[in-house]
Amino acid sequence: MSEYKLKSVRRDNKALQRVNKALIYIALVALSIFTLIPFVWMLSSSLKLDREVFAFPMRWIPETFHWENYIVIWTKVPMLTFFKNTAIVALSVTLIQTLTSSFAAYAFAKLRFRGRDTLFLCYIATIAVPWQTYMIPQFVEMRAFGLYDNLQSIMVLQAFSAFGVFLMRQFYQGIPTELCEAARIDGLSEYGIWARIMLPLSKAAIATLVIFTFVGTWNDYMGPMIYLSHDSVKTVQVGLRRFIQENSSDYHLIMAASMVSLIPVSIVFLCLQKYFIEGIATSGLKG
Amino acid sequence: MKKLFALAMAMIMALSMVSFAAAEDTTLTIVAWDVNTTGYLTAQKEAYEASHPGVKIEYIDVSSQDYDVKVGAMLAAGDTSDIFMIKTVPGLMNWNDAGYAMSLNDYIAASNYLSGFVGMETNYNYNGEQVALPFRSDFWVLFYNKTLFDNAGVAYPTNDMTWEEYKEKAIAMSGNGVYGAHNHTWLSACVNWAVCDGVNTLIDGEYSDLAYFYQLVQDLEDAGACMPYTEITASGLHYSGAFGNGNIAMLPMGYWYVATLINNIKSGDYNVSDWGIAAVPHKEDVKAGSTFGNLTGAMINKKAKNPDAAWDYISWLCSEEGSKVTAGTGNRPAWVSEGVADVMSSVDGFPQDENSKAALLPSYVAIEIPGDPNASAISSILGEEHSAIMTREISIEEGIEEMNDRVQELLAK
Amino acid sequence: MAQNAPAASVRPPKHRMGRLERKNTLVALSFIAPNFIGFAIFTLIPVVMSVVMSFMDSKTGAIFGAEWVGFANYQDIFNVAKVSSKMADGGFLAGLSYFFNRVDLGIALKNTVFYTIVTVPLTLMCSIILALVLNRAVKGAVAFRAILFFPYVASMVAICVCWNFMLMKDGPINQILMSLGSDFNKSWTADSTMAMWAIILVSVWRSMGYYMVIYLAALQGVPRELYEAATVDGANKWQQFWSVTLPQLRPTTFFASIMLIIGCFKIYDTVAIMTGGGPGRATKMLVTYIYDTAFMQFKYGTASAIAMVLLVIVLLVTVIQFSMEKKFAND
Repeated sequence: MSEYKLKSVRRDNKALQRVNKALIYIALVALSIFTLIPFVWMLSSSLKLDREVFAFPMRWIPETFHWENYIVIWTKVPMLTFFKNTAIVALSVTLIQTLTSSFAAYAFAKLRFRGRDTLFLCYIATIAVPWQTYMIPQFVEMRAFGLYDNLQSIMVLQAFSAFGVFLMRQFYQGIPTELCEAARIDGLSEYGIWARIMLPLSKAAIATLVIFTFVGTWNDYMGPMIYLSHDSVKTVQVGLRRFIQENSSDYHLIMAASMVSLIPVSIVFLCLQKYFIEGIATSGLKG
Repeated sequence: MKKLFALAMAMIMALSMVSFAAAEDTTLTIVAWDVNTTGYLTAQKEAYEASHPGVKIEYIDVSSQDYDVKVGAMLAAGDTSDIFMIKTVPGLMNWNDAGYAMSLNDYIAASNYLSGFVGMETNYNYNGEQVALPFRSDFWVLFYNKTLFDNAGVAYPTNDMTWEEYKEKAIAMSGNGVYGAHNHTWLSACVNWAVCDGVNTLIDGEYSDLAYFYQLVQDLEDAGACMPYTEITASGLHYSGAFGNGNIAMLPMGYWYVATLINNIKSGDYNVSDWGIAAVPHKEDVKAGSTFGNLTGAMINKKAKNPDAAWDYISWLCSEEGSKVTAGTGNRPAWVSEGVADVMSSVDGFPQDENSKAALLPSYVAIEIPGDPNASAISSILGEEHSAIMTREISIEEGIEEMNDRVQELLAK
Repeated sequence: MAQNAPAASVRPPKHRMGRLERKNTLVALSFIAPNFIGFAIFTLIPVVMSVVMSFMDSKTGAIFGAEWVGFANYQDIFNVAKVSSKMADGGFLAGLSYFFNRVDLGIALKNTVFYTIVTVPLTLMCSIILALVLNRAVKGAVAFRAILFFPYVASMVAICVCWNFMLMKDGPINQILMSLGSDFNKSWTADSTMAMWAIILVSVWRSMGYYMVIYLAALQGVPRELYEAATVDGANKWQQFWSVTLPQLRPTTFFASIMLIIGCFKIYDTVAIMTGGGPGRATKMLVTYIYDTAFMQFKYGTASAIAMVLLVIVLLVTVIQFSMEKKFAND
């Protein structure tokens, strides 16, 4: 009897699992649509005339497709320069940020030294301060260094953020200290441990940090707005504001340029996303 | 040794060339907003450079939305640009308080200069120091779409219309996708009219006079005669796009819109062909042709590299010659003479009927919000309550009581 | 992958500690220096300057030449005079209610805390569930992952404009809700209650994909053996989730919640673009208040004082979280 019951339970389970799976798919698809709707609207608006963008009732498919919007954005403002500047800044910030913060994080996570907790508290505390409050003193400083109206200002502004150190430290703490101990006994220096053990093990965290930094720098508005004045050094997000003027606005062009500016960040994400999964799984680290 | 000598020579030569070039050409750096699309900036630069060889003008473009923020930061950090354009009076007040603005008193005394402004420059005068001069003055007028009026068979707005007549006209014009009026979402476009009587101001802590205008706009909304506030804000609809759509009959707006309108009609971006302007309506007990406005001006940075050249530029900007250039781009200069007025009405694309021309000469212009240390704090309070009233989260009476309470509390500090 | 205390298990004898520690400290500093020097110059020093500025009357954002005013800025933002007079009249609660309903700082605090309390758990929940679902062998997981992450890479200007339009009267979201039986048809951002929910919705929409990815990474690190052991012990899926998955994800949850809480307390962009803090003061947040005070009214000293309130709150929350985390890790 018990065997019979078990069988039926198993059959029920299978049916249940199938229903479950279907439900999960429906939920996922619904959620994906919910996630993508604003982007669809952006795309459709980018192909309209300005006055059609907010026309009501809304049309998902434009009456006529104004592909020329995608050409106008490059000619009406020096968009290509803006893209080039943004790329330079975003790439260098990402590089410096990832390197220096994983370096520092190793010390915070795996080394014992006096003043460690105080130093780390400094980092944490500044994460909590909104940039708007210390923007002006920082600006005064940058000017004194002659970095005003210079792409390097945005680089140093973004590259040493406390966030990176915090993220990498959290991750390194999850890596067993025994690994480092063993390496020390094998005669590896601390630098060797960082390069040969920590770095390869932290692909996932590095990927997370790279995406976070790249996206943050790419989409930053306030920093470039304050620090950059000449067109030759402006970035995309500041450049976008060129389409919102005091007496007129070109929302169709903003949407078109925003669509284009999505491309690089999407590429970075798509390239890196496999590391989220591989990162730890292939490290042979099982607790 | 020889090498070192050569190097030194080369450096001296390079240096002398730099200083030589500097002696020949003065480059004036001017910080402004929307440089590429603000027609008068380009026109002023070209005209001045043509009549003043040896001077080059270089604009630094700042986004109009963040103008005061960015300029504040630039000045705080010791920027050495020569001239800063003035967008808001509170902005100038703060920069002046912080000691960034150069007093123009000595320059003005030497040139005996102020007569053409008929008193408008006093808004830039603090404690007897003239710290900037206005070169543009935008008062508010009523734009209307003649085609819509023709189609509906309704008479055009006149220069002596009352607000009640405005309301009737707006309701008569509405329907079939047409809105009779568009009072934009700003406090200034909805209720700032209360200051047109020359007695009320927005900084006195007493706002019961705004009730009439809130009621008017809400009546228009209820009658379907103007787009609801909530829809305009949620969609981020820009007033220029709204009027440009061609389904709005009347739009009270600043004079600055003339230039935008003309340009966009020329380029075919707007659905509007035939339009006119009239004086803004008035309340029964206020003189017809009364309106309010604000100023755009220029100040000299205390740390300017070329203060004298900067003064020369500003005094040119505010002279008959400079004003004509500004007027030629569809903008209203602050310094006006008959010759300048002629230029204004002869701009290509400006409506040629007599009423529109007459609307260029208001009978009284109040200042939108006077320069006052509390002006910006009061503005944010009024703005917050304005949004609560206009979204109908609170009643007009409640909103005005809140305005009175909060501003009076601020003034009592 | 438990949180390991950094202390080495075998300690060297006491008399050698001094030298070793000194050497360790030097090595450690060499690791930290490249980041710390930049960080100290461009972040730490300006932050310290803004702390000083909160005690000054600075109209320009510079501390040089500004006047020292002691606690005046703090008295100003807390409206001490008015609140204490209310307390004298109507008791402690009357003063408190005046502070949270009438004073700008009180309102901003109330709004920000409410927003944070709702957004943080909601985002964490959504991202854990999504990560669990996508961690299983679901067909098309890669595509779903990419789609759900997408909002995170978009710039806020365009996105907030889109959302405002979505949430309009007669807009698509309201129409869907009405077809489900709701009778709400007003622009969300024009309604005192819904404006806040609009901001919460956009925040969760934007960040759940990001934290989902972080959780996905963490899930990879959960050892299979633990599940096998739990199965042998007869634990069902639900029990496994509570006894294996969730505890294993604790370091990640700790990290994610700190980042989320700090992020929520610092919310600015979304509010500035979508509601501007309105209607009335319904969505006025701490940072929008700071921004207005500093850049619209040029009261940098006062703005810094508000920022210090924010700093103290976030630090308190963070310290509590850290100490709780330590307690958990030691248990």
